[in-house]
Amino acid sequence: MMEQKNKQVNEEILGMANNLKWELGMDTHDSIVSSLYADAAQIARKTVSMDGDRPSFSMERKIDKVVTSRMLGFPIMFVLLALVFWITISGANYPSGLLASLLVDTLHPLLKNAADSVMPWWLSGVFVDGAYLAMAWVIAVMLPPMAIFFPLFTLLEDLGYLPRVAFNMDSLFRKAGAHGKQALTMSMGFGCNAAGVIAARVIDSPRERLIAIITNNFSLCNGRWPTQILIATIFIGGMVTPFWAGIVSTGAVVGVAVLGIVFSLIVSWGLSKSVLKGEASTFSLELPPYRPPRILQTLYTSLIDRTLFVLWRAVVFAIPAGIVIWLVSNITIGDLSLAEHFIDWSNPFAVVFGLNGVILLAYIIAIPANEIVIPTILMLTVLVTGMAGVGEGSGVMFELDSISSTEGILREGGWTLLTGINLMLFSLLHNPCSTTIYTIYKETKSAKWTAVATFLPIVLGFVVCFFTAQLWYLFF
Amino acid sequence: MSSQPNCEKCPVHHKDNLVRLGINMEKMDYVVALAGNPNTGKSTVFNNLTGLRQHTGNWPGKTVGRAEGAFSYDDKRYKIVDLPGTYSLLSTSTDEEVARNFILFGRPDVTVIVADATRLERNLNLVLQILEITNRAILCLNLMDEAKRNHVEIDVRALSRELGIPVVPTSARKREGMSELVKMISEVASGQYVCKPHRTRNHSPQLKRAITKLSKKLLDTYPGLPNADWVALRLLEGDQSIIEALHNGSLGELVENETQIEV
Amino acid sequence: MEHPILALGLGLLVIVVLAWAFWPKKGLFARMGKVRNSSRRVLLEDTLKYLFDCEYKGNTCDLNSVAGNLNISADQMARLLAHLRDMGLVVFQEQNIRLTDTGKSYALRIVRVHRIWERFLADETGVEQMDWHGEADIREHQLSMEDANRIAARIGNPAFDPHGDPIPTKDGKIPPFSGKTLNSLKEGEVAQIVHIEDEPHYIFEQLSAQGLYPGMQVYLLDVQEGKVTFAADGNECVLTPLFASAITVQPLPKAKPIQEGYQTLSDLEVDETATVVGISSYCRGLQRRRLMDFGIVPGNTITAEIQSASGDPVGYRILGTTIAIRKNQADLIFINNIKKEHHEQSA
Repeated sequence: MMEQKNKQVNEEILGMANNLKWELGMDTHDSIVSSLYADAAQIARKTVSMDGDRPSFSMERKIDKVVTSRMLGFPIMFVLLALVFWITISGANYPSGLLASLLVDTLHPLLKNAADSVMPWWLSGVFVDGAYLAMAWVIAVMLPPMAIFFPLFTLLEDLGYLPRVAFNMDSLFRKAGAHGKQALTMSMGFGCNAAGVIAARVIDSPRERLIAIITNNFSLCNGRWPTQILIATIFIGGMVTPFWAGIVSTGAVVGVAVLGIVFSLIVSWGLSKSVLKGEASTFSLELPPYRPPRILQTLYTSLIDRTLFVLWRAVVFAIPAGIVIWLVSNITIGDLSLAEHFIDWSNPFAVVFGLNGVILLAYIIAIPANEIVIPTILMLTVLVTGMAGVGEGSGVMFELDSISSTEGILREGGWTLLTGINLMLFSLLHNPCSTTIYTIYKETKSAKWTAVATFLPIVLGFVVCFFTAQLWYLFF
Repeated sequence: MSSQPNCEKCPVHHKDNLVRLGINMEKMDYVVALAGNPNTGKSTVFNNLTGLRQHTGNWPGKTVGRAEGAFSYDDKRYKIVDLPGTYSLLSTSTDEEVARNFILFGRPDVTVIVADATRLERNLNLVLQILEITNRAILCLNLMDEAKRNHVEIDVRALSRELGIPVVPTSARKREGMSELVKMISEVASGQYVCKPHRTRNHSPQLKRAITKLSKKLLDTYPGLPNADWVALRLLEGDQSIIEALHNGSLGELVENETQIEV
Repeated sequence: MEHPILALGLGLLVIVVLAWAFWPKKGLFARMGKVRNSSRRVLLEDTLKYLFDCEYKGNTCDLNSVAGNLNISADQMARLLAHLRDMGLVVFQEQNIRLTDTGKSYALRIVRVHRIWERFLADETGVEQMDWHGEADIREHQLSMEDANRIAARIGNPAFDPHGDPIPTKDGKIPPFSGKTLNSLKEGEVAQIVHIEDEPHYIFEQLSAQGLYPGMQVYLLDVQEGKVTFAADGNECVLTPLFASAITVQPLPKAKPIQEGYQTLSDLEVDETATVVGISSYCRGLQRRRLMDFGIVPGNTITAEIQSASGDPVGYRILGTTIAIRKNQADLIFINNIKKEHHEQSA
């Protein structure tokens, strides 16, 4: 009874609200906001006083005039970003080598011996050669550059410089249907795509944020640089005289990275004109005041929030992959291991794309981390060709110190200049690593967009490799 | 019901609703909501109060999701909930809805509004909106060091008088003013300091008439509804959570709670 | 491989076929979707909608006008109407066709879904203004009432669609038709545009292209045979009576006409200051809210401060914050009182 009455009264209230809404017309919301601001202005007038006519933000304005000027804006930006990359690459070299020699060269044999004495060979294979080695590799390759790159980037961010980069770059990205802040998520992607995807949070427009997330994988990440450099040195640098080799192979790697940026802009444009056309789009970019960075806190938080967070995810995904890699090369059906069966079966198909079965398998089982692609390829090549005296045994990933012996293995595996070029292209254009895929899902909460972000680059990769290979076959 | 009748100093928060909103209220005496514009150092204030570490970048809208923490002061336990940083509480975006509904239905004992002292006027927009919803708020005037550097002077006492709530100047990055803030939180939570929040009177005559008409109707049905004008305004804006609250009776619950205190 | 030319050709062919199938709007799948949409039920519902519209505006309508509106032959229309009569949705009164109560509430449901969907597209998506009506025409037949209600709840239960038409409530209430057409105003009268008819489409397109939309103030300058001259937010426009009759206005007897056309924010040079007059109603939804959050509301002072290295966007200072605004947004923000900024001379 009471409930009945309440319901009726509620309906009356809602009905009244509706009629009033119609009477008030369309501008209710605007008029509410305006009156609030009018109040705010009144209060501010009574309570805030500025020294002189206006606050002296003059220092800030002078800096802004320089970093956004037509003449100096872009050069300053390129120099700063190049500096960040240079510090990262040169600074990470030594600790990476140290970690690798510690975790892979020293600790791995020790662990292996210890494990062999207490457990059957296959168990120590799964755990030490598979799981441990994959984890060790990811840490050694990933940790040092990220521990340098992220704090540097965070410093620029805290300083307030990055919003100015977005401000300067916006007109380019606007033409591609994207947001200027995508310049930042892209740069972040050069460190790690998963971190780049997380960084897309700063884009508050739904459409542009999705674009930034989906295209982040086109930024050549830290895990793929070593692959590019190695293959370019062997196959592209090998074409010319030693004097030119360094310049030519560096040019090839930079070319691939630039190609990635071009793809990311083209794909951004395509997405904004097709599947993402209906998503809401807005532009807002606040240029916050410059603030003196707090260096210690920045170091601490960027290490914890970005570096360790991403590393942890990568390790979690690398361990099962290590196990799978070991298992496929050690479980045999008939005379051949699972890996060899797959490689033999997929080889004809792979050749159409200028690749080979080893590369395909390596990219499938090394999906958790791009860092272990080259060790996996080497191990599988040795396994397939049955070379004696190199490598550590089936299922044990390895790398060689000398580039020429690496080249020897690859040439033995039937690699040509085309294989090298297409591996570089495929390394740029393939599905994101599983850490990134998982991160994309976490950020978008949508299986659909995760699938698009996963399959779009790999389809593109196959298309590009296919045409490169067929044109190659046509002319050579 | 979380509060006993005849008790001026008892917590006013709505425990059932808070639990429904996903807040664990075990062993907590008071609930403090932390609201504010993005990029005002809200996360730094949160970290200072709770001793937690959250990355705060020089970016608007960095905090994603809702952080929670706790602190003790004078033998009382305070739950502190960091609401999403928003510029406004009037739109249908998820962030604004979360913040708005938390303050209205969760009825925190204190809402601390963090504002950037160097851009007070812009921040006041949100402050005034929050004061329309709740009676218990503190303005934490943050980044005072930066304001000083830029020669912005703010008459804190006049501001407090205009807004009808306590105003605490702080520089959270240097941990200045935090103890004053905590003390003020306890005073407002315990009812020692009674706020008389500013309510806007600047609406257009047409809108004013509509609000008066609707809020009168609301008060007829729910006598003692604490913020009938705001509820009326939200109904005119078509706020679905208010409409649902009307249907499922939680708007009525807000009234019961309030009358118990006022008896 | 042995036949690279063959392989290349095949590869290209596959890409072309896929593009042909999936191309938005013109591709095979998009076309198939469109064909599915002209079923008998759709025609019946469109008829009801048109009849409701006539009655709402107080016009009478007969067989020919309905047939003409739906673009089908009179014979086919007669059969449809007979079917509707058998279903108890319409009655014939001599030449006129009228909706029964059931027919009216059926029509109102479709109108509600249509207008909610238009409002949703306008406020929450990036769909172009030109496509709102067409998409809603398709959706109104697909979307259930429950889904439409859910969408309405999410976007704040709007009372008007983006063209200024009232949205009927869940229980089928709608305010009576009010307002006059633009060409019925007298010279010197001031009014606000409350609605722009979205059908026929070519008229709507033309009016949008002229930058006319609900919310603008109009001030009638001159009415002559075949020509209506007026100022819309201060800018002079000339329309034929046919086009002017597609604009519904609400007279504002006390308002002062806006004398001069406003300038837009994009006219502001660096180091100049102006007062914000408003944001064009063309800017809606998320984008509008964002700008207002930043303090772009009438009366606030705005200064152009820095230009990005590529010229667009420009950083403006408002309420003590510098925000970047793209040129296409700045075109939609009206300002006046442009002044040269005096600053830093003392510093």
